[in-house]
Amino acid sequence: MKDTDDKLREQISRAWARRVSDRQPPFDKTWQIAQSRHAALRRRYRRFAGVAAIAAAIVIGLNALTSTDEPTYIEVAELLESTYWSAPSDVLLPDREFDIYQDMPVLFESTEPAGGALL
Amino acid sequence: MRDSDALENNPHVSRSALEAIHGQVYGWALSRCDFDHATAEDLMQQAYVELLSGSARFDNKSTLKTFVFSVVQNLARSRFRRISSRLRLVKQYQQESASAVAQMSEPVDDGVWRAVRALPARQRDIIELVFCRELTIEQAAAVMGVSTGTGRVHYDRAKKALRSRLQDWSEEES
Repeated sequence: MKDTDDKLREQISRAWARRVSDRQPPFDKTWQIAQSRHAALRRRYRRFAGVAAIAAAIVIGLNALTSTDEPTYIEVAELLESTYWSAPSDVLLPDREFDIYQDMPVLFESTEPAGGALL
Repeated sequence: MRDSDALENNPHVSRSALEAIHGQVYGWALSRCDFDHATAEDLMQQAYVELLSGSARFDNKSTLKTFVFSVVQNLARSRFRRISSRLRLVKQYQQESASAVAQMSEPVDDGVWRAVRALPARQRDIIELVFCRELTIEQAAAVMGVSTGTGRVHYDRAKKALRSRLQDWSEEES
């Protein structure tokens, strides 16, 4: 069995070698091309990263320029002088304004239980 | 392995180690693309690019040869998966006409080659890896992405098929 295996192996490797060895490219040439392809790939990635960074900077810049909602802070003194208050700059809050003397007492005086606790 | 020629992104791989197995890897690449030399060269370059960039990272879990063979195998699979369905019909037609011509024109000792080509793809692969690329059955199975047991089955079936075909042809010739 071993002999027939060896014979088969020899026949097959000979038949295969005939098709492979005649035009095998030299390692140096293949390696050189691979290196230049790798370098080109890295250049392309770097260029892409540069373009992406510039695009991100432009988007952030435009966003900052077009934003009209100036951030403001709550002035404590102002708040104490007035009975009227509205959310300062948070555009996400609903546009709700209330008079503290008209609206709040309803909440303060409420004795209705909610979920086992008084409001 | 000399440290000086180890790859930057793949410290366990050196240029000299790749050079030592270049011929074997080229043979494997060639049979992955139906013996088209230009495609095989491109496949080799692409495999080396994967190693240079570190996309395919060798961590000494197998031999370098097994690893590089697997890289070539995976690259060939992903490359040909996209176009295989379109080419299948064309190839089938070409093979039918080519085999008819080849049978008339090939020399007698190419009967071995015809017997190999007639094997199913997996059996052909394992025979090539074990007989021609000098891998063990375990290593060949790892390259092909199958278990060792499955590899052994393919190997045994391939040997039986080859023996019977070669015997038939030698009887026909005599």
